[in-house]
Amino acid sequence: MSADNGSQDRDGEVASGISRREVLLTVGGVAVAVVAGAAIWGGLEFYVNKQHAIGSGLNVTYRQVVMVLGTLACVLGVILSIRTARTRFDDVGTARKDVNFGVARVPALVFARLVALMALIVLPAGAVFLANYHTFEGVHEVRGCASCHVMLPMVNDMRDPGSETLAALHYKNKWIAKDQCYHCHSDYGLGGGLEAKMTGFRHLARYTTSTYQEPIKARVKFDNNNCLTCHEGTPKWVAVESHVESHQELAANKMPCLDCHGEAHPTAAQRTPGSSDYSRLMERMK
Amino acid sequence: MRLLQWEALCAIVAFALTETFILVPGPYAMALFTFIAQPLFAIVAIGYLRKVRADLRKRGL
Repeated sequence: MSADNGSQDRDGEVASGISRREVLLTVGGVAVAVVAGAAIWGGLEFYVNKQHAIGSGLNVTYRQVVMVLGTLACVLGVILSIRTARTRFDDVGTARKDVNFGVARVPALVFARLVALMALIVLPAGAVFLANYHTFEGVHEVRGCASCHVMLPMVNDMRDPGSETLAALHYKNKWIAKDQCYHCHSDYGLGGGLEAKMTGFRHLARYTTSTYQEPIKARVKFDNNNCLTCHEGTPKWVAVESHVESHQELAANKMPCLDCHGEAHPTAAQRTPGSSDYSRLMERMK
Repeated sequence: MRLLQWEALCAIVAFALTETFILVPGPYAMALFTFIAQPLFAIVAIGYLRKVRADLRKRGL
């Protein structure tokens, strides 16, 4: 990068040693990367929001889109990074060779710098964006929650037709069509608050380093707005006097909904290793 | 002189971890991506930008 080939650059040399063409190519490269990023974002939003249907019968999920684009970004990134690691910028700068793209010819040094820009900035940004999108969309799915074994009791109980917990009632009565965990814990998603995100990262760190104890306990207070988003203002909700009387307290999280509406998930005693319910609740889903 | 060698090697490791998470999502792959790959990418970007800045200053820009 610091190859001092100042006066050797071609096409519109300037006193600084960087040619106008070089600057334009760099700016153009960054602009293309930004446009590509915006297009990828738009495409992902389209597939997520539009039933994922293409043409007559080809269904594409966000996961497949992320896998394809992410793999392309990562594989291309590795290839260009290997090339960048092996590039001797001093030698490239003095070689004075052009690289022919077919539609344009650029000096070898400019090409090497663009490759480095792609390998170390543009493609990492794309890969990080896609992987983070994967993270925040992945938490919508029940199987995403069930991938951590400490969550199995909650998921198994929710799917148990005989259970009377709030989660199970919502599930078996189909009050929530899909992504049942996320609907009541939506703080974790892309639109959730920073505190919820930090809590999620802390859970991830504690789980993967096995620095937790069962039964797990929620440190963060459950946000009533997760309930109120669906229930508030409905005829059944309004018909209960205490809802209307306590509306301010409920909205301000001063009075938890669960105070009156029982257990949302199996109790801590049921989730304690050695309890009679533990092995049933911990069964791995098929 | 290979000026961007360690940055490129860090980027390769980070790309590999990111690809693992994208293809086989799970808590451990997510942790590797979140706590190792992302910081590595940040370090790579800082290293690259520092060298670009040094290069531009050397050229008087």
